[in-house]
Amino acid sequence: MTIGMKRPTRARLADTAGRWGFLTPAFLILAAVLAYPILYTIEISFSEIDIATFMPGEFVGWDNYETVLTDERFWYALRVTLIYLVFALPLQLLLGFVIAWLVNAEWRGRGVVRALFIIPMVVAPVVAGGIWKMMLDPLWGLTTYLLGLVGLPALDWFGDPVLAMGAIVLIDTWRWTPFVVLIATAGLLSLPRDVFEAAEIDGANWWTTLWRITIPLLVPVIAATFVVRWLGAVKMFDIALAATAGGPGRATNVINLFIYQEAFRGMKFAESAAMCVVVLVITTLLTGLFLRGSRVLEARFQ
Amino acid sequence: MRGSRLGHRLRVGGGVFVCALFLFPVFWMVLTSFKAPRDAFTRPPKLFFTPTLESYTAYLTFADVPGRMLNTVIVAAGAGLVSIVAGAMAGYALSRIRLRGAATIGAVILLSRGVPPIALAVPMFIVARQLDLLDRHITLILAYCTFLIPYVMWLMRGFFAALPRELEEAAAIDGCSRFGTFLRIIVPISLPGLIATFIFSVILAWEELLFALVLTSREAVTVPVAVAGIAADMTSGVNWSALCAVGTITVIPVVIFSLAVQKWLIQGLSDGATKA
Repeated sequence: MTIGMKRPTRARLADTAGRWGFLTPAFLILAAVLAYPILYTIEISFSEIDIATFMPGEFVGWDNYETVLTDERFWYALRVTLIYLVFALPLQLLLGFVIAWLVNAEWRGRGVVRALFIIPMVVAPVVAGGIWKMMLDPLWGLTTYLLGLVGLPALDWFGDPVLAMGAIVLIDTWRWTPFVVLIATAGLLSLPRDVFEAAEIDGANWWTTLWRITIPLLVPVIAATFVVRWLGAVKMFDIALAATAGGPGRATNVINLFIYQEAFRGMKFAESAAMCVVVLVITTLLTGLFLRGSRVLEARFQ
Repeated sequence: MRGSRLGHRLRVGGGVFVCALFLFPVFWMVLTSFKAPRDAFTRPPKLFFTPTLESYTAYLTFADVPGRMLNTVIVAAGAGLVSIVAGAMAGYALSRIRLRGAATIGAVILLSRGVPPIALAVPMFIVARQLDLLDRHITLILAYCTFLIPYVMWLMRGFFAALPRELEEAAAIDGCSRFGTFLRIIVPISLPGLIATFIFSVILAWEELLFALVLTSREAVTVPVAVAGIAADMTSGVNWSALCAVGTITVIPVVIFSLAVQKWLIQGLSDGATKA
């Protein structure tokens, strides 16, 4: 709407202030509660901490990092987290898209089914962990009974390291798949119909259509969904705490839970800060990488 | 649509079955919450029993659930309000106002969503302890802003970007200030999206565990902390009726709210996730 005339400077300044004014509240809050704590964590990670005053004391250089990086338990927790991610995320994406396809079948009750899928998504993760702990109980649990009906033995979900990880993945998948279904549904609905009609006329079978047309068209949505799920999964804490408390042994002790225990049970704040910084660096790098990857995929397949 | 009738029916049936499967644990929780302990621990598990409010009456008073509920409401509503106001304004700025560096800011916000909360909880605990701010509602509200504000910014940015530009141009011609335009034009037409985003933020705050566990101890304790306490109580064995009663109370309001706004929720969440 400008006519090429230079506006007076004061009005201009006021305009600039007005523009940035919108960002000010968010900026101030995030600077105080997001940026400052991160910087403070970095400071603590290079210091000793006095439990009596809770102030970072003497500068100790890389000592805390050395302690942490030579701690086999830290690496173990990272490994456990990686195992969880490697199983849970692909499973949830696959299930989510398959279920979205099922749910997208056109019939009268479609809207209701889709709405009901919101329910597991809003169950507090800690409650989800609790309910499933009850359902999977090897003695009184419902699943144990159902397995018994088909002649299968009781599974010691929380006593066996592999099964415990299975339980964590199962609970997490129950809680998060509906979210993937929701996004996938939107993605499936936005697919262009004419392409499929053309493929049908050309005599392409179901399998070819799926691999040659549907999946390539869905790649941007799949990538975006993966990123969002990743952002949620790096926060994994509640379910593990409620269902297994990290056990048996340390089999399901995901990194967030491990740092929590070290800091607040072990009172090792300086070492925990160092772990936080390491984890922060890893997750930020991976998030950046995934974001970039999803952009590239989006550009290539659109 | 193409495909055989049988195939279609199978697909519909499959969808309904999977949906029922996903809802079952919630149903089982509500059912168990009405069981007396002797009915909760049986083989085979009981589907029919004499319902009782025993676990509600016994446990709710014992664990001070009403007090914790009130804390959770205060914290969730407070955090939801602060972040919807700050986040929507910032989201508007990023989507509709030409700002140098808006793309960078957007990228930083997205990256910040990948910050593990424990990396903030540790320093926050230390700072809150120094400032004597532990166990206060305001501390928890601010802590929740760390993930809610970026979340709201992200969702609302996409939402505002989809509005037609003519809206602001007309308002500018009428001599409306930028903030006036936002308040009088943009907010009213975005109300459904704002409400859905607000409700979803409240839900996220309502369910949060880690910060609540770290930053509260007696006065400001929230319900998820109580649930974690019951679930982790190994000494007396898990009290399932209590767990289910508290779980049900936690889940019911959230389910009602989210179903009430499900149309916008579905739209908002799927847009927020896919529109980069």
